Amino acid sequence: MSWLSHELRLLQRSHLSIIALILLFLLSGLAVWSGLKEIKHQHDTIARLAPLQEQDLAAVAKTYSNAANAGYPAYYTFYSTWDTPSDAAFLSIGIRDSAPYVLRVRALGLQAQLYEGEIFNPELALPGRFDFAFVLIYLTPLFIIALMHDMISGEQQSGRLRLLVSLPEGRLVWLRRTSLRFVLVLMCLVIPVLLGATITSTNLSSLSIIMAVISSYVAFWFGLTLLITTQGWRSVTNATALMSVWVLLTLVLPSLANVALLRAVPVHQGVDLMLAQRQAVHGAWEVPREETMQRFFVHHPEWSGTAPLPQDFHWKWYFAFHQLGDESVAPLANAYRAGLLERQAWTNRLGWLLPGVGAQAILHRVADTDLLAQLSYQDQIEAFHRQIREFYYAYLFEDRPFGAADFAKQPVFQPSAHNIAPPEHTFFMLILSWMVFLIGVWRLKTVRLDS
Amino acid sequence: MSIVLRIAREEWRSLLRNRVAVMGTILLTILMLIASLTAWEHQRNAGEERARYQAQSNHEFESQPDRHPHRVAHYGHFLFRPLNALAAFDPGINAYTGNTLFLEAHRQNSANFGDVRQSSLLLRFGQLTPAFVLQVLAPLLLIFVGFAGVSRERESGTLRVLLTQGVSSQQLVIGKLVALLGFSGLILLPAVVGLCLLSVSGASAWAMTLLLIGGYTLWLLLWSLAVIFISSLCQRGRDSLLALMAIWVLVVILLPRWVPDMANAAIALPTRFENEISVQREYLALGDAHNPDDPKFAEFRDKVLKQYGVTRIEDLPVNFKGLVGMEGERKSSELFSHYSTRAFDLQAQQNSFVDGFSLLSPLFALKRLSMTASGTDLQNFRRFLEQGEQYRYNLVQGLNKLQAESLTYADDTNRQKENRIARSNWQAFPEFKFTPGSSIETLKGALASIGVLTLWIMVLGVLSWLQSRRLGRAIR
Repeated sequence: MSWLSHELRLLQRSHLSIIALILLFLLSGLAVWSGLKEIKHQHDTIARLAPLQEQDLAAVAKTYSNAANAGYPAYYTFYSTWDTPSDAAFLSIGIRDSAPYVLRVRALGLQAQLYEGEIFNPELALPGRFDFAFVLIYLTPLFIIALMHDMISGEQQSGRLRLLVSLPEGRLVWLRRTSLRFVLVLMCLVIPVLLGATITSTNLSSLSIIMAVISSYVAFWFGLTLLITTQGWRSVTNATALMSVWVLLTLVLPSLANVALLRAVPVHQGVDLMLAQRQAVHGAWEVPREETMQRFFVHHPEWSGTAPLPQDFHWKWYFAFHQLGDESVAPLANAYRAGLLERQAWTNRLGWLLPGVGAQAILHRVADTDLLAQLSYQDQIEAFHRQIREFYYAYLFEDRPFGAADFAKQPVFQPSAHNIAPPEHTFFMLILSWMVFLIGVWRLKTVRLDS
Repeated sequence: MSIVLRIAREEWRSLLRNRVAVMGTILLTILMLIASLTAWEHQRNAGEERARYQAQSNHEFESQPDRHPHRVAHYGHFLFRPLNALAAFDPGINAYTGNTLFLEAHRQNSANFGDVRQSSLLLRFGQLTPAFVLQVLAPLLLIFVGFAGVSRERESGTLRVLLTQGVSSQQLVIGKLVALLGFSGLILLPAVVGLCLLSVSGASAWAMTLLLIGGYTLWLLLWSLAVIFISSLCQRGRDSLLALMAIWVLVVILLPRWVPDMANAAIALPTRFENEISVQREYLALGDAHNPDDPKFAEFRDKVLKQYGVTRIEDLPVNFKGLVGMEGERKSSELFSHYSTRAFDLQAQQNSFVDGFSLLSPLFALKRLSMTASGTDLQNFRRFLEQGEQYRYNLVQGLNKLQAESLTYADDTNRQKENRIARSNWQAFPEFKFTPGSSIETLKGALASIGVLTLWIMVLGVLSWLQSRRLGRAIR
C-alpha cells in the first residue's frame, strides 16, 4: 500500500486539490446542517400549531356547547392537518418550501380548500434551496472537474508523461490516482450525510438508496472527466470542455426539457375546477331543494330514509350541496391530478438520460418532498375530510343535538407513513452512471505519449 | 489610441480563430433565440388564457340570477393576475406565485395555482429565459473567451516584446478590454433587438426597456473588467481560467442559493395556519356580523339608533342587518390587512437581507434591477394582492350597502322569505383592473442596483488599472 501514501503526498502538494476537497467537505457539511435546521424548524412549526388549534377548537366548543343541531359546529370548526417531514427530508427540501405542510379544513366543499397556498417568499424560492441535493448535483461535478481536468495533461505539460507511460504499470498509475480522488470526494459527501442520518435516525433502506445515488452520480462525473481528459488536450481545453458539458447537463438541458414538458402536458384543470365548483355549489340555491337531496342520496343512500326537509332552512341540505359540488368536479380533479402525475412521469423518464435529473428525482422521492409527496398529503386530507363529513352527517340527518360531549368525539387527523419506494427509473440511472465510469476507466488504456 | 484599437483588432482576429469563442457564441445565440421565442410564446399564451378566464369570471359574476346580496358576496369573484409583456424577458417569480385569487366575504384567500406546485422538481433546475442566458451563461462565455487575453501574452513572452516596442502595458490591457467589450456587445445584441421590438410594438414602456438594456450592459462590462483583471493578475492562463471559474461558481451559482437560505433562516415567516387562527380569534371577539343581536354590536346599534333618532331597529329607514354586515366587514378587513401587511413586510425584510449581499455577489443587484424593470418581482405581486384585496373590500361593502338599502329589516330577518334583489344592482359594479407601478417608482426601485453595479465596475476598473501598471513594471 506504499503507493497510497505516495499518491496522498502528491495530492497534498497540489494546493488546488487540497483546497477543493476541504471546500467540498465544508459545503456538504453546511448543506446537511442547514437542511437539518430547516427540518427542525418545520417540526417545531407543526408542534407550535397544535396548542393553537386546541384553543381554537375549545373556543368553538364553548360558543356552541349546547347547539340544537350540528350545523353551526360543522360550519365553524376548522380541523388541522399536517405533513411531518420524513427522516431523509433534510437532504432535499424539495417542494416543502412553497407548498403547505400544515393546512386547516372544515366540513364545507373540499375542492375550494384543498389548493390553498402557504405564505412563502417567492423571491427566495426562485433560486432553489441550498441543501445537500444542490451540493451533490451542481457543485460536486465542479469539484471533480477541478480535481481531474489536469491529471493527465498536467503530467504531459510538466514533461513526466513520457516516464509514466513507459513504466510497466503505467496504466495502473492513472487508475490509482482516479480511485484515490473518487474515494476522497465520496468521503467528503458521505460523512456529513451519515452524521445527519444518525441525528434524524434515517431508516436504512432510504439511506442505502441515497448512498447508491451519491456514489453513482460521482462515478458518472469521474467517468465523464476521464472520457475528456484522455483525449490528450491541454489542461485549459479540458477545463473549458468539462465546464461546457456541466453547463449543458445541469443548466441548459434540464431547463430546455422543462419548457418542452410544460408545453407538452398543459395543466389548467385547476382553475376550471375552481370555477366549476363554485357554480355547482352556489347554483344549489336556485334549484328546488328536494331535487338536490335526491341527487345527494344517489351516492349516499344510507341517509335516504331520513326525515324530509322542513319548510325553512336545514343544514343537512346545505352540507349536501357542498358535497355535491365536490362530486360534480371530481372528473376535473382527476384530470388535474393525472396531468401532474404525467409531468412527474416524464421527468422520471428524462432522468434516464440526464443523471442530474435522475439523481434529483430519486433523492426527493426518498425524502418524500416531491410532487408525489404533495399529492399524497392531499389524499390524506381528502380521506380525513370524508371522515369529518360523515361524522356530522350522523348528527344532521338524524336531527341529533350537538353538545360539549360531541365535540370530544370529533375525528382527529392521523398522518400516514411516508411511502419512499424509489421510482422505477432508479435502476437505469445507476447502471448508466457506472457504465460511463467503466468506459472512462477503459479509455485510460489509450493514454499515450503522442496523444 | 490607434495602438489600443490595433491590439483590440488583433485580439478579435484571434477570437475568430478560437473554436471555443466561435462555437460558444453560436450556441449562446441559439439558446437566446430559443429562450426568447419560448418565453414570449409562453407569456402570450398564459396572458391570453388569463384574460379569457377573467372574462369568463366577469361574465359569471354578472349573469348570476336575482339573489340576496349576501349570497352574491359569498358567491364571490375570481381575479387572474395579468401578465406583463416584459415577463417574456425575465419571468422572475411568476412561476412561483399563484395567479388565481378568489374573493369572498369575511375571508382573504391566497393566490393559487402557481406553476411551482403544478410542476415536477424539474422546474427547480431553472427556467431557460433570456434573463437566465445573460445572467448565468454569458459571463461564463466571457471567461472562456477572455481568460487568456493578457496571461497568454505573458506566458508566451510576447508581452515583453510588445513592451520593448513602446506599447505601454496600460494600452495593452485597455486594448484587450475593448476587444472583450466588443464581444460582450455581440452577445447582448439579440436581447437588445428583442427588447426594442417589444417596445416598438407598444407592449412595454421604453423606460423599462432602456433600464434593462442599461443594467445588462453594466453586468457584462463588470464581467469583462473582472476577466481582464484576473487575466493580467495570473502568471499562467490555466490559473486565470481556474480562478475565474471559481469566482463564477461563487457569484452565479453558490451565493444566489446560499444567501436566500440564510435569509429564510434569519427571518421566519408565520404560517397561513396561525394567521388564520389569530384573525379568527380576534374576529370572533369583534362579534358575529351575521347576527344583528350579537351583544358585541350593541354599542354600534346604539350609535346607529341615535344617528337616525329612533329607538327600535325596526324603525330605522335602512336594514340594520346590512349595516352590521358593513361594520363587521370593515373590522375583519382591518384584521386581514394587518396580518397580510406584516407577512409582506417580513418578506420585504428578507429581500433587503439578500440585497445586502450584492456587495459580495453583484448578481443580486442585477436580479433586483431585472425583475423590478420586468414587473416580475415580489413588490409587483404584492401590488396585485393588495389591489385585489381593495377590490374585494369594495365589492363586499357595495353588496352590504345594497342589503342595507334595498331590503327591509323585517323581510331580511324572516327566515321564510328569500329576499332577492335584481341582478342589475351588481352588474353596475366596475370590473377589476390592475394598475402596475409607475415608471418613476420602478426607476427609483432600481436605483440602488445601478449604484451597486457601478460601484463594482469602478472598483474593478481601478484594480485593473493599477494591475496594468504593475504589469509593465514587473516585466521590465
